[in-house]
Amino acid sequence: MQQHLKDIKTRVGLLVLLCFVQTAFGQVPNKASIWGKVSSPAGEGLAGVTVVLKDTRTGTTTDTQGQFRLTGLLPGTYVLQVSFLGFETQEKALLLEAAQEAELNIRLQEKAFEVQGVEVIGKSATTQVNEQAYAVTAISTKELQNSTSDAKEVLNRVSGVRVSEEGGLGSDFSFSLNGFSGDQVKFFLDGIPMGSFGSSLSLSDIPVNTIERIEVYKGVVPVWLGTDALGGAVNIVTNKKNNFLDASYAVGSFNTHRLSLNGAHTNPTTGFTFRGNVNYNYSDNNYKVWVPIKEGGNVIDSAEVERFHDRYRSANIKLETGFINRKYADNLLLGLMASGNDQQVQTGTTMGSVYGGITRNSRSMVPTLKYSKENLLVDGLNVSLFSSYSKTESEIVDTLRGVTYNWFGEATYTPGSKNAEGPSKIPTFTTLYDDELSSQFNAGYTISPKHALSFNYALTYFHRRAFDAENPEKIQNRFPNSLNKQVLGLAYKFDPSEKWSATLFSKLYFLQAKTSKEYDFGTDTRRVDAFESNKESFGYGVATSYFLLPQLQLKASYEHTYRMPWASEIFGDGLFVLPNPELGPEQSDNLNAGAAYSFSLQQDHQFMLESSFIYREAKDLIYQVVSGSPETFYNNLSKTRTLGVEGSLKYRWKERLHMGGGLTFQDITDQADSVYSLYSGYQRNFQKGYRLPNTPYLFANANAGLTFKNFLAKGAVWNMNYYYFFSEQYFLSWAKLGSQDSKKIIPTQSSHNLEISCSLNEGKYNLSAEVRNLTDARLYDKYYLQKPGRAFYLKLRYVL
Amino acid sequence: MLSIKKARQLALPILSLGASVAFTSCDSESESPSPVEENPYVVSLAMAGSDGTFTYYTVPFEDVMTGTLSAVGQGIEQPGYYDFTQIDNTIYSIGGLDDVDVVGISQGEDGQLKRIGNVSFDNSLADLIKVDDNTLLGLELSAASDVVKFHTIDANTVKVTSTKQHPVSDITELEGPSYAGMRISGNHLFLSYYISDPVTFATPYTDAAQVAVYTYPGLEFVKVIEDDRTGPIGGFNTKSGLIKDEKGDIYALSHSNPANGYSQTTQDGGILRINSGQTAFDPNYFFDVEAVTGGKNIAHLKYLGNGKALAEINAVENAAQKMWSDGPLRTAIVDLYNKTVTYIDGIPEHGGQGRRLSALHEGNFVYMVIPEENKRNYVYRIDLGSNTATKGAEVEANFVAGFFKL
Repeated sequence: MQQHLKDIKTRVGLLVLLCFVQTAFGQVPNKASIWGKVSSPAGEGLAGVTVVLKDTRTGTTTDTQGQFRLTGLLPGTYVLQVSFLGFETQEKALLLEAAQEAELNIRLQEKAFEVQGVEVIGKSATTQVNEQAYAVTAISTKELQNSTSDAKEVLNRVSGVRVSEEGGLGSDFSFSLNGFSGDQVKFFLDGIPMGSFGSSLSLSDIPVNTIERIEVYKGVVPVWLGTDALGGAVNIVTNKKNNFLDASYAVGSFNTHRLSLNGAHTNPTTGFTFRGNVNYNYSDNNYKVWVPIKEGGNVIDSAEVERFHDRYRSANIKLETGFINRKYADNLLLGLMASGNDQQVQTGTTMGSVYGGITRNSRSMVPTLKYSKENLLVDGLNVSLFSSYSKTESEIVDTLRGVTYNWFGEATYTPGSKNAEGPSKIPTFTTLYDDELSSQFNAGYTISPKHALSFNYALTYFHRRAFDAENPEKIQNRFPNSLNKQVLGLAYKFDPSEKWSATLFSKLYFLQAKTSKEYDFGTDTRRVDAFESNKESFGYGVATSYFLLPQLQLKASYEHTYRMPWASEIFGDGLFVLPNPELGPEQSDNLNAGAAYSFSLQQDHQFMLESSFIYREAKDLIYQVVSGSPETFYNNLSKTRTLGVEGSLKYRWKERLHMGGGLTFQDITDQADSVYSLYSGYQRNFQKGYRLPNTPYLFANANAGLTFKNFLAKGAVWNMNYYYFFSEQYFLSWAKLGSQDSKKIIPTQSSHNLEISCSLNEGKYNLSAEVRNLTDARLYDKYYLQKPGRAFYLKLRYVL
Repeated sequence: MLSIKKARQLALPILSLGASVAFTSCDSESESPSPVEENPYVVSLAMAGSDGTFTYYTVPFEDVMTGTLSAVGQGIEQPGYYDFTQIDNTIYSIGGLDDVDVVGISQGEDGQLKRIGNVSFDNSLADLIKVDDNTLLGLELSAASDVVKFHTIDANTVKVTSTKQHPVSDITELEGPSYAGMRISGNHLFLSYYISDPVTFATPYTDAAQVAVYTYPGLEFVKVIEDDRTGPIGGFNTKSGLIKDEKGDIYALSHSNPANGYSQTTQDGGILRINSGQTAFDPNYFFDVEAVTGGKNIAHLKYLGNGKALAEINAVENAAQKMWSDGPLRTAIVDLYNKTVTYIDGIPEHGGQGRRLSALHEGNFVYMVIPEENKRNYVYRIDLGSNTATKGAEVEANFVAGFFKL
């Protein structure tokens, strides 16, 4: 270990040195701005002129002096469009450097004057994100604003991404990205790790209206996200308009209600801003499932029954106040988030066990602090700091004694039995007191347009205390659990030309876990005692992109990286996920290569093609084990390999029609030479070279949309969207052994969603209707965990 | 419309899209399984996964003495934890994944292995025994549960015909009776168990053997019989605490040794007898196993006939054993009537699997799978005439959960 540490230090030192010698750059987006004056041919300032950046959602109108200002722009190429009644619309293409303050004065010509042809090479923020050196896909939610979808459903439409749900609204779900799953993929809300928001805010609680865009980083994660995500990261960027109000209400099948209210107000002179966000979700999740009906130990029939103990409720409120665009800070915001949820538990890991009395709930309070400033003290130095402290209290209640339920919701009482419903049969009323401090500091320095340097430090401290009212003496609960994770990152970005960009980075990881474990099982000295583990690791990598043609970008990245286990993986969830105190970090070497190409035919037909290849060798993969009980736990798989390819195609015809689709194939195979079992010790692994069980390997999605304007009412915009999902069947166990007809499979699945929406009065009033799982197909994501059948949703939305 | 240049630009993305299609079209392997009549030997192979879980494959083979026995592309797959036992011409798998059941595996009309039964229990059955040609009796006795359930099961349809339930408190006031063995003789059912703490698995009560007596077929609780000439009956998951001979006499094995899950030993291991028609231990019969073996205990026992049983005997005495190791073991033939032990020549010392002994008794031979020092598993055929063994096929499995002939 000592030697190892020394080795790490030497390597870090070398890298740091290397970065400085080369002179170095910034992952931190260095926001640029444009300002200027629009005037008449006579030179008078024109008020009320519309100034927009084409293909972005950024725009403004001039003030009484004809002045305008657009801020917070990412570096890149834009087309500024200036239009005013009675004048010719003018477009100016401009290239914004990081942190540039471009002045642009425009004199409009009265109509009938021929404007010289201007090349339109506008790129939206979404396009710019897509063009980073990392393998990244950005999804603009512009077309989805009126959709009843939430963040999780939007993500499921990205190629390479698969969201596996265990049931209806509020159910646990897992997310996989190019074969990485669970917490190998990290989620961020505006660049802030979502883990720090406590357990009661999840992806499904974020309605689509609050989202500006979603960035999906596949493989290598930029240093400014600063965490130990190994398989990739998802950054959900929320609306940051200074003044708005957005209210929506959705109602649907299974008594589902979702309410969302969002708003911001900013005083333009003082910069004082106040933002708020309230969400409420409710669903009975009483959808029908096809289950075996048992009587007296026999399975007498299979029937379609309603789930009867699956209600989910969640509410959260987020308030933020502070100052923006001040000399001392671009953002200085103090926030407070309060959230809570309560949930009935219907089944365990499979639908074999059915429960009627188990519930869980959780409440969190999260104060937050955000600070960011560009060009702090010197030009090109950008810093940001985010800190949050979350206090979460969750309860797990399984106190019914001697009662078992069947799928009809009928209880059978066994007199004299003290057994609880859960898998351990031991009654529990456990309260988990979780405290988590999360802090992230970024500093980026742009030395010159070609060289930039960034530094990131992320700290997470998690502490859990548990108390079981049914078993106050429970020995495990006497030992607090804590996890301290620190990640330091340093990156150097070098752009030798406009076509070529490269980033070199290194990360240093520290993990300290304190918990308890059982020692000397089955012997006289058996005891539960404190257990502590300390791990350090060093990761590094490189990401590069090159424009072969203006419309063809090639990307490649390599990373040697680590992922530290997450608190819930080490400590369990207190009910179905058992703790594994010895769970270690996962190590992998990831290689991504891809290309993106866009072109248009005859102006109106736009095509966008993207494809990437993934190669990964992982050691000690953190993997959720489904064994012979309703309980699961996380374990390290010694060696796995991922070979994958994905591709997507998008087509757009004018503003009228868009179509797209993506296909993902991932071959994740076990590469371990030996396996360990209790009685035999290490033995030959007969599954070597074969796919991991219970993991989808081929899936696809497709979508098509139509837009009509001014249909039925003037100014009305109609959207019709269709979504298709496909997943090839896969085995519950390893693929190689056993006769094909006896193997347990998760069958091939197809589902169709249809959505129609209408927005009136320039998007002020919106109405949308959606039908999900149109064909009422029986869908599973995990083994025998059925998802809802055909469901209808209606959403009303008002935007001010 | 598409220029050559444009076509070239398209080539890369299209190629990689195409590659994904090509990748997927090469993974179907269909081998028609071989009929059972030509493959009378049926072996349940347990395969460990890197994630620590097991999957079982019950595969028919023609010859178990040469070549390798493998489940590649053949056999009935069962993921989860399974225990296998053969009763007449049917193999019963007991256990499952979350939902626990019993599935009968037998030879179908077409000669292929077929599965029958659709039952489901709250807890995995501790054991399943034969009552008569058409009836089986299953026992639900889980350390986590406070009820004992007897399920009468139709052997032909594998359906539960009736269930009788009793509180665990009938047989002990202590927590954690662990199943050791069950036999029916005459009008009584005998159920043996030992006390093992459900959390720590410690065994603080080792001074006497205990067997619960129920009426049969009424399944009413009668009493618990006790004997302090030896310790508790049975060991962790071995399920061979009670065996019955042709006369209806029941033999109860005690070994209370660390390798089979005992945290303490206070009595020497030995074998007791309950004579046919009686509901008490025979005070005149005691097979002092340790006296014969020089302090070593019998871990597993399988009745063969004429008072003889196949035994897996610990190679070292209790004090030298490693806790929970189920080994090292030596294979022997035990004569219950003459109280003798004869070790088999040609089988190396080997480890057990901490579960029901899987061995096939066929005429004058017994087939077993022995893990050798190199961690590979081989079939051994014991000749009961000469008490010697011959090494056969290599088994491509992490261990063997059942060895049968249909």
